Amino acid sequence: MSGGRTKVADVDRSLYDFTKSEEGYERYEDGLTPDIVRSISAKKEEPEWMLEMRLRALDLYHGRDMATNWGPSIAGLDLDHISTYVSPKTKQAKDWNDVPKDIKDTFERLGIPEAERESLAGVGAQYDSEIVYHNMREEVAKQGVIYTTIEDALHDPTWEPVVHEYFGTLIPPTDHKFAALHYAVWSGGSFVYVPEGVTLDYPLQSYFRLNAQGAGQFEHTLIIVEPGADLHFIEGCSAPKYYEANLHAGAVELFVKDGARLRYSTIENWSKNMYNLNTKRATIGTDSKMEWVSGSFGSHVSYLYPTTILAGDRGSCEFTGITFAGATQDLDTGCKVILNGADTTASVNTKSISKDGGVNTFRSSVVVGRHADRARCTVSCQSLMLDNISRSDTIPAMDVRNSTAQVGHEATIGRISDDTVLYLMSRGCSEAEARTLVVNGFANPVSKELPMEYAVEMNNLIKLEMEGAIG
Amino acid sequence: MSTESIQTPMADTVTLGRVNQPPAQTWNRLHVNDITLTVPKISRKGDVYFALPQLFSKVETGMGEKVTAWVTSQAADARYVEVPAHTVREEPVVIAVDADKGEVVDTGVMVREGATATIVVAVTGTSDKPSTSASLLRVIAESGAHVSVIEVIGATDAQQHLESVGIHADDDARIDVRQYALGGGTVAVGFAADLAGRRARVDLNTRYLASGHETLDINHVVRQRGRDTRAQISESGVLDGSAKKSLRATIDLIHGGRGSKGSEAETVLVIGDNVVNKTMPVILCDEDDVAGNHGATIGSVSPEQIAYLEDRGLSRREAEQLFVRALFEDAIIHSPEKRSHEAAVRRAEAVLGADVAHDFDEGVSPVLDEEA
Repeated sequence: MSGGRTKVADVDRSLYDFTKSEEGYERYEDGLTPDIVRSISAKKEEPEWMLEMRLRALDLYHGRDMATNWGPSIAGLDLDHISTYVSPKTKQAKDWNDVPKDIKDTFERLGIPEAERESLAGVGAQYDSEIVYHNMREEVAKQGVIYTTIEDALHDPTWEPVVHEYFGTLIPPTDHKFAALHYAVWSGGSFVYVPEGVTLDYPLQSYFRLNAQGAGQFEHTLIIVEPGADLHFIEGCSAPKYYEANLHAGAVELFVKDGARLRYSTIENWSKNMYNLNTKRATIGTDSKMEWVSGSFGSHVSYLYPTTILAGDRGSCEFTGITFAGATQDLDTGCKVILNGADTTASVNTKSISKDGGVNTFRSSVVVGRHADRARCTVSCQSLMLDNISRSDTIPAMDVRNSTAQVGHEATIGRISDDTVLYLMSRGCSEAEARTLVVNGFANPVSKELPMEYAVEMNNLIKLEMEGAIG
Repeated sequence: MSTESIQTPMADTVTLGRVNQPPAQTWNRLHVNDITLTVPKISRKGDVYFALPQLFSKVETGMGEKVTAWVTSQAADARYVEVPAHTVREEPVVIAVDADKGEVVDTGVMVREGATATIVVAVTGTSDKPSTSASLLRVIAESGAHVSVIEVIGATDAQQHLESVGIHADDDARIDVRQYALGGGTVAVGFAADLAGRRARVDLNTRYLASGHETLDINHVVRQRGRDTRAQISESGVLDGSAKKSLRATIDLIHGGRGSKGSEAETVLVIGDNVVNKTMPVILCDEDDVAGNHGATIGSVSPEQIAYLEDRGLSRREAEQLFVRALFEDAIIHSPEKRSHEAAVRRAEAVLGADVAHDFDEGVSPVLDEEA
């Protein structure tokens, strides 16, 4: 058996790889021009400051280059062949029955309404560039929680100043080239405001589906958790497979105030023609807590590093992530942690699995500032290689500027041992079942952090990725 | 070799950019990917010096091609040493670098099949005048060769030193390396080992001290190309004052190197309040039947440990200095000949005072062969 290798067949992604006709959709011409940016802004009837921000970001985008000394190639991404705005001809619905049939069918196949009925405080669903459905439980609304689109918040005199105050401050358009692109053409996403002291017993969820071919999705998520409040936000993403490149360049800005807690769970399951250049960042205050649970399964190329800035004293951050790279995938994922407050703590645990020629890169940075007295941070990264045509790299960086801080890092790369597989086979498993069992066990620390339906989805994805014949 | 990156800000210096660059890099805004050095440039146009055999140009070095090009253009005659097959060279190959004179030396050592050799690089500085010195050492270890390399860098706060090493190891070659970076205003250390042969092995042990306003920049790269190779990298050091240290350590498990194992671990003790400590431990893995791991621990002496020692009459500073003393003791113990021993003792005198240094000299020094 030692000479044999697991040959994994193409993944059956029929659950995700179905497409719907774009007939009747509003689709802006491919490319990126000031006129397109103005059209998006005009369509949304935005305040003047937002248009100015978009145009400034467009200039930044054209003036910036990608770094050439690190990261996967995005040479296959040509913005001249990407439409930055595609919208189904429908208005945002609050009642599921008002959602157009084909879109409703899409989300039902993905299990979104079911999830809402079971255990969610509110649901948002974005289809291509626009939110098509948004709803929240009445009792949650009564607590003063706001869960709406950024567009709707901008049209509300109460919330427009709040959006203006926070939008684009944590991830500025100057952050990197695709942050600039995001601010030029953003559309859709969520605005969440949790008032002081409010605890949501159920999570809020947004699901993003990019159906259009040769298109981009640029949703913006802005969440403000006021002091002492508590929120679990879930984000899911998927897209069908095309042979043309699609682009996802969203932005997630999370403001977690003193004594507050936010858990942000994501399963990114983009199709393998997707360039996923997403930016997520949280800043947390004194005695507050940020928890990330992140699963990256799809996309052709990913650049994804959720960032946490521990600005206040005694803040804490946990990052739990898993990345699965298969054929044609080059996934550069990880996280960044910046500890600036005293007695702050951070814990990073990641897993990655590479198979079938897939490339996984775990990239992280831990920065401990001068004033972060007694800060503690541990980073643990484990990588599993399932064949000898795949690749797994681990590239962490640490910058420690406080003499009382303690920072630890450990990483291991290896494969499933033949002894383990033999043992399981001696108990009646086939070789494929044995390997799947081991991979599921490897991923278990991540899946147990996810809500039940997402854990099921993740395990299903692993099963899909692992199924195949032994060669 | 490219000279495009060599710019000339002043007539007598050149700026070497992207030095000590690891094979895989990360966010440039962290300023951890490389170091930029300004070095003197002596025109040797028209002079003809002894150069190493062409074979050595294929040996990858830790600091990279720009430093190799600069050293070979600045050093006078390169020194070539060959250790015959199946022999044991008793006396070490000593590369003595006088930092006060700004010496730049280029050395190539061919250790033939089954031979054994020890190579010592000793960098000694006592002057408070600025200078730049450099040593470029390239080693080819043929099948079954056993090579020990001991580097002791004891420059002063005013001095800059570049220390670049490249080693190619064939089947069953064994490489033991001990690096002691004990001081210098700016010290850049690069080490690259290509474990090309089956069962080739490298054990790299680096210990360092950076204090005051010193800058220490280290780049370690081990390519595990052959089957069943082993790499064991251990770095530990003490950072004091406003020292700046960057360490990049890469284990590259190359496709085809089945059965190989690589391990890297760094332990850093931070005792200065204004230290900048950057670490980038990298594993690159292009093969499944391998094992790679790395770890880094960065911290200070814990309050509990300090309290324990204070109860026994040691101040915090005295307790922390015990770690520094241990580092110098280790360097002196492992210095196998006079020049490296002197480099370590001179530096210990500058850091810990003459009394302590002479205690080491009497208490822990090995018996040295004066002829060595």
